[in-house]
Amino acid sequence: MAANGHLPSPRATPGPMVLRRVINQLPEGGPERQAIEAGEIDAVLDHANSNVILFPAARRAIRVAHSSPSPPAPHAAPDTPVANSVLAALTSAEYRELLPGLEPVALRFGEVLHEPGAPIRYVYFPIDCTICLLSPTHHQRMVETGLVGFEGMVGISLALGVDVSSVRAQVQCAGAALRMPAARFQPAFRSCLSLQRELYRYAYVKLAQSRQAVACVASHRIEQRLACWILMTSDRSRSSVVALQQDHLSTILGVRRASVTLASLALRSRKLISARRGETTILNRAGLESASCACYKRVEALHST
Amino acid sequence: MTRPSRKPKSPPDGLTTVVVLRLYVAGGAPNSMQAIANLEAICAEHLSGGHKLEIIDVLEDPLRAMGDGVLVTPSLTKLSPQPAAQVVGNLSDKARVLLALGLKPHGG
Repeated sequence: MAANGHLPSPRATPGPMVLRRVINQLPEGGPERQAIEAGEIDAVLDHANSNVILFPAARRAIRVAHSSPSPPAPHAAPDTPVANSVLAALTSAEYRELLPGLEPVALRFGEVLHEPGAPIRYVYFPIDCTICLLSPTHHQRMVETGLVGFEGMVGISLALGVDVSSVRAQVQCAGAALRMPAARFQPAFRSCLSLQRELYRYAYVKLAQSRQAVACVASHRIEQRLACWILMTSDRSRSSVVALQQDHLSTILGVRRASVTLASLALRSRKLISARRGETTILNRAGLESASCACYKRVEALHST
Repeated sequence: MTRPSRKPKSPPDGLTTVVVLRLYVAGGAPNSMQAIANLEAICAEHLSGGHKLEIIDVLEDPLRAMGDGVLVTPSLTKLSPQPAAQVVGNLSDKARVLLALGLKPHGG
């Protein structure tokens, strides 16, 4: 297959209206429509305008694969197509072994993937979405105890031999992911040494992050923790714009909403971030790193261990 | 997601039982990569090398795909032997692909 990466049309990216129009022109009830409904299609061809229109998830996956800042692992195939660090660390042959069990999915904001105490049905390899891990406290309240993005996998306990989730895994930033049924993951994990190595290393990182998070909650101000959380979410979604609802932040940080508002105002007054309509934009990354507690750099450094 | 091709293609010159396939994909998009892996696995199991597969990236060569009447990707076309057939999607439904290729699930 020829190298990919540029789209044939010199025009701007077609919007959802154009995509819908071209889909509507496909034969009703035909195999193309059925495959689209099943989520198995990456692109439709607009014959009238000689254009190829990618579905949003496919466009994101291709864009992310070509803008990934992290170089592939030395033993990974140079054309590794997956922008998830765990899968990208596999050899090409190992990746192909896994592929038939992997299914691309578009995850929506707020979607719950795992519940505490419930069996894990799928593991998820995020591509450009972020998933927060929430632990129950009391009166059905939850506090965030972890964050997973393209660097990891949701459902790590399966790799440790436990098929029940201890946390609620909830989509924080919508986007694309690859998922695999637990029943297929377990034999694949047992037979693939590289996957074992990557996931054991990732489990170590998550354990160390959890310890750091406990220290962070006990030692640092809300403003520092908020700055840290914005940076970590931005890194995992590979975007300087992150979706942030104050209600949700209050849950994530385990503090009152008024405290979140004050912390956000403090960062905004220093022009480190801007916020509108549920989205926060990082304006000054270096400044935000300075405003964050040291936990941010410690946690991020764990990924290079 | 299988149907006879609307534009049957001619088989290659000469008598042959080699299955000639053409897979249209969209770069490294997830369904396209999955279709390649699924198809390679099916070919390895059921065709044991007796096939010819051409993969066309519609992001690189859209006009060719349009000229061939492709509407969506991934899309697999069996050109030979006749009858021609087409399957769209990520080819995870193995039975459907085998049907299009004219093979039985446990046949070779």
